[in-house]
Amino acid sequence: MTAAARSDDAAFAAQRAAQERRKALAPWLLMLPALIIVLLFFGLPTLYMVRMSFNLHFDQRLYVPGFTFEHYINLFSNPLFTGAILTTVKLALVASLATVAIGYCFALLVWLKPARWRLLFIGLALAPLLISEIAIIFGWWMFFPKNGLLSYALLSAGLIHDKVSLMYTEFAAFVGLVYVTLPYCFFILLSIFDGIDKRLLEASADLGAPPVRTFREVMLPLTWTGILVAFSQSFIWTMGTYATPSALGPDTLWTMGFLIQEQMLGKHNWPMASALAVVLVAGVAAVMILTRSMQSERNSFHV
Amino acid sequence: MTAPAALELQNVVRRFGAVVAVNNVSLTVGKGEFVTLLGPSGSGKTSTLRLVGGFEELDGGAILLDGQRIDHLPAYRRDTATIFQSGALFPHKTVAENVAYGLRMRKVPKDEIGRRIAEALDVVRLKGFEARYPAQLSGGQKQRVALARSLAVRPAILLFDEPLSALDLSLRLQLRAEIKRLHDELKFSAIYVTHDQGEAMAMSSRVAVMNAGAIEQIDTPETVFHAPSSEFVYTFIGESCCLPLRIDGPDLRDRAGNPVPLALGERPADGECRLYVRPSRLRLAGEAASLPNRLEARIHFIEFLGDVYRYHLKAGALELAADHAGSIGHGVGDVIAIGWRNEDMRLFR
Amino acid sequence: MSERAPRSAEPLLLKALALAFTIFIIGYILVPILVTVVMSFNGAAMIRFPITAWSTRWYADFLGSPQWMDALKNSILIAFGTAAISTTAGVLCAWAFQRFHIPFRDGWYILIMMPLFMPGVVLGLGVAIAFGGISFGGYALYGSRELVMISHSLWAMPLVFMLMEATFKTLDYRVVEASHDLGGGPLRTFFEVVLPMVSTGIVSSLLFAFVISLNEFVMALFLTDRDTQTLPVLMWLSLRSAGTPRLAVASVILALTVFACLTIIMLWYVRQLRKVAR
Repeated sequence: MTAAARSDDAAFAAQRAAQERRKALAPWLLMLPALIIVLLFFGLPTLYMVRMSFNLHFDQRLYVPGFTFEHYINLFSNPLFTGAILTTVKLALVASLATVAIGYCFALLVWLKPARWRLLFIGLALAPLLISEIAIIFGWWMFFPKNGLLSYALLSAGLIHDKVSLMYTEFAAFVGLVYVTLPYCFFILLSIFDGIDKRLLEASADLGAPPVRTFREVMLPLTWTGILVAFSQSFIWTMGTYATPSALGPDTLWTMGFLIQEQMLGKHNWPMASALAVVLVAGVAAVMILTRSMQSERNSFHV
Repeated sequence: MTAPAALELQNVVRRFGAVVAVNNVSLTVGKGEFVTLLGPSGSGKTSTLRLVGGFEELDGGAILLDGQRIDHLPAYRRDTATIFQSGALFPHKTVAENVAYGLRMRKVPKDEIGRRIAEALDVVRLKGFEARYPAQLSGGQKQRVALARSLAVRPAILLFDEPLSALDLSLRLQLRAEIKRLHDELKFSAIYVTHDQGEAMAMSSRVAVMNAGAIEQIDTPETVFHAPSSEFVYTFIGESCCLPLRIDGPDLRDRAGNPVPLALGERPADGECRLYVRPSRLRLAGEAASLPNRLEARIHFIEFLGDVYRYHLKAGALELAADHAGSIGHGVGDVIAIGWRNEDMRLFR
Repeated sequence: MSERAPRSAEPLLLKALALAFTIFIIGYILVPILVTVVMSFNGAAMIRFPITAWSTRWYADFLGSPQWMDALKNSILIAFGTAAISTTAGVLCAWAFQRFHIPFRDGWYILIMMPLFMPGVVLGLGVAIAFGGISFGGYALYGSRELVMISHSLWAMPLVFMLMEATFKTLDYRVVEASHDLGGGPLRTFFEVVLPMVSTGIVSSLLFAFVISLNEFVMALFLTDRDTQTLPVLMWLSLRSAGTPRLAVASVILALTVFACLTIIMLWYVRQLRKVAR
């Protein structure tokens, strides 16, 4: 081989190496904006929040650098906070169960109805998704009180004789919460139903199974994964929300979200707010991991 | 110094994990030559083409286009143009915009682009379709646009990646003839990948038969068909029946041990071997009388194939198929004579 | 058929139940919407049923109030910003996932999706305490619209990413190769071929991000000040003090903004559909 050919080869190899380097760099360049957003505005604040939860708080200052478990101890011993944790979980549990039940029936209905109704129902289910939570709260806020629509309607129908108010009750909070989470549940479950062959129902009926039996033995096992996903989705959502329960519910309905906001914006106690947030995130993560593991068990059962 | 070949592959290797998709392939395509890579799926023919186009990276060897190494260049810096199996037209661009795309990328002046679009569409007989979108074209029309799009940039070599395999038979034959006509007219250099031997035979200057990542034989269609160099080429091109035999001195037997009374011309060495004959070259009944290789066989079943009847025959453990135009006056179960000439058979071991 | 006759009572019951449920669900979803629309035309100063006087005075009041109009302007600016930021970041990131081999792919995937599952109150708190005191050359990050846009992107970007990842998977990759083949470099191919082919996904992404940002108010509550507060934040604050029909007007206007976007995009879809499949 001549010297010229060898130097050619060397130049060729260098060119190729440069190409490889550019190719290895490209995906990171493309991911850069997303990574900046996630790392700088989610990762960093989360770590900072965890650190903050161990800081001290006195003298009406936002926080004082230090290290203490005081806030966590407080969180699990002060009845104010333990009560909030319990309320949050209870409310989330009841609201999610109701959401899944209503969402399931709604999705089943849309699935069974002729196709011409489908678009109408989907549009209906989309409405709460497209409307701001605050507008929804305000809508119910005008429906429940003494001078609200509910009271007026019942009065004019002659069902009651005195104005009633359901405002600031746990029921109102519950109605509002279900309303907000219902569309997510509905769309998750509808997508599951759409994957099921409707002839299965006919087959089951042909074999002589009454509708209730068909439901229990055919539909429920087929949609179990969807139910789990829908439940965890709305559970996570209701656990983190605070606006709806605090605006529609009674003054005593203190959820963790409400307390975080209260500690942060009202009491200016950053470490306490952070500790609450850390516990809330841990709860959300626990629910996600739990449903994920239940799903995979279920799947391995089938395969 | 002679002019460099349009394309030269030197010991090209491509691996996918542990699988060697292209194994040490060397190939030269002369200027204006139309070379077909023919092989079953998984033989490495498409991988070879994609290496030339720049869609796969080389694991060894070199690729030269017009005497210049191109294997380090990305696809968009190579003067090649591919016609994909699906057409791969830009769905959001009109026919004219599709054809213009490559010209714009090559910074061809505007008025020149207009002229070349008209010329390319004229060549593929799609004048008047400029403003249509691909969704408004038939499958055959889409492939013509793809062809026009590639021709318009006047590449050093055209790469065809099974462009007709998604079309139905009559359209396939029609476009096949058209590509042949275009090549005769424009004299472009091309590599054409297909698993259809009819396409390969009809269009090519030379055919390269590929198997397991390597080229088994490369020659003119006539040579590949009449003088296949290997058992694989023989069986892949054209139909054949295989007679597994055992040679033991003057003794010739089938696998079940029955004696087989064949002359075989020159006697090969002892051992297991496979004798091949083509159904079209077998003679039946009276026509077999004077031939050197003759067997008595029972008619097993008969297929009507249109131009011919195909007789499926059994002689001991041997199974044969023979084509005969018109009926021979025998039916299933009859025992008849079959025979062939020495030059119509091949022996592989 | 005759042997099934005894069970005919059961489907009837089911039918009645289905009808009752249908009425319930339609009523449930429509009640707060209808109440709001009706109340926005109330002529009185109080929220009180029955409505005795009808007028559009609260619409005039809303449009004439600098505070409310500013809030609406902030909302729309922030929503546009969020749509731009999260769509750009999400589309590029999804393309990287589709096109390239990425080390620890699953890890990055989880990291990018994680903010979507975080309560707004946690995200808002985190960003507020981490960026509360930071300013660049006299320009305080805290309270700025930009910070709210990025925070809203924490929800919108993972959604865009998820949507675009699925969209890119349906892309016929041969067409991208064809573009390279004809001499189109990576950038030109991305802008001239890839983006137009997934334009439906991109427009949907923009819409999602826009709507999420427009309606969000927990993070915005933590991160805005009097000058940058969004319409939902202002609504929340005035609901806490006293509700007036002005709030109903604000609700209607917020919803109308969303529906206006939706309509524009529907029209665009129809045009696009006509172009590709005539």
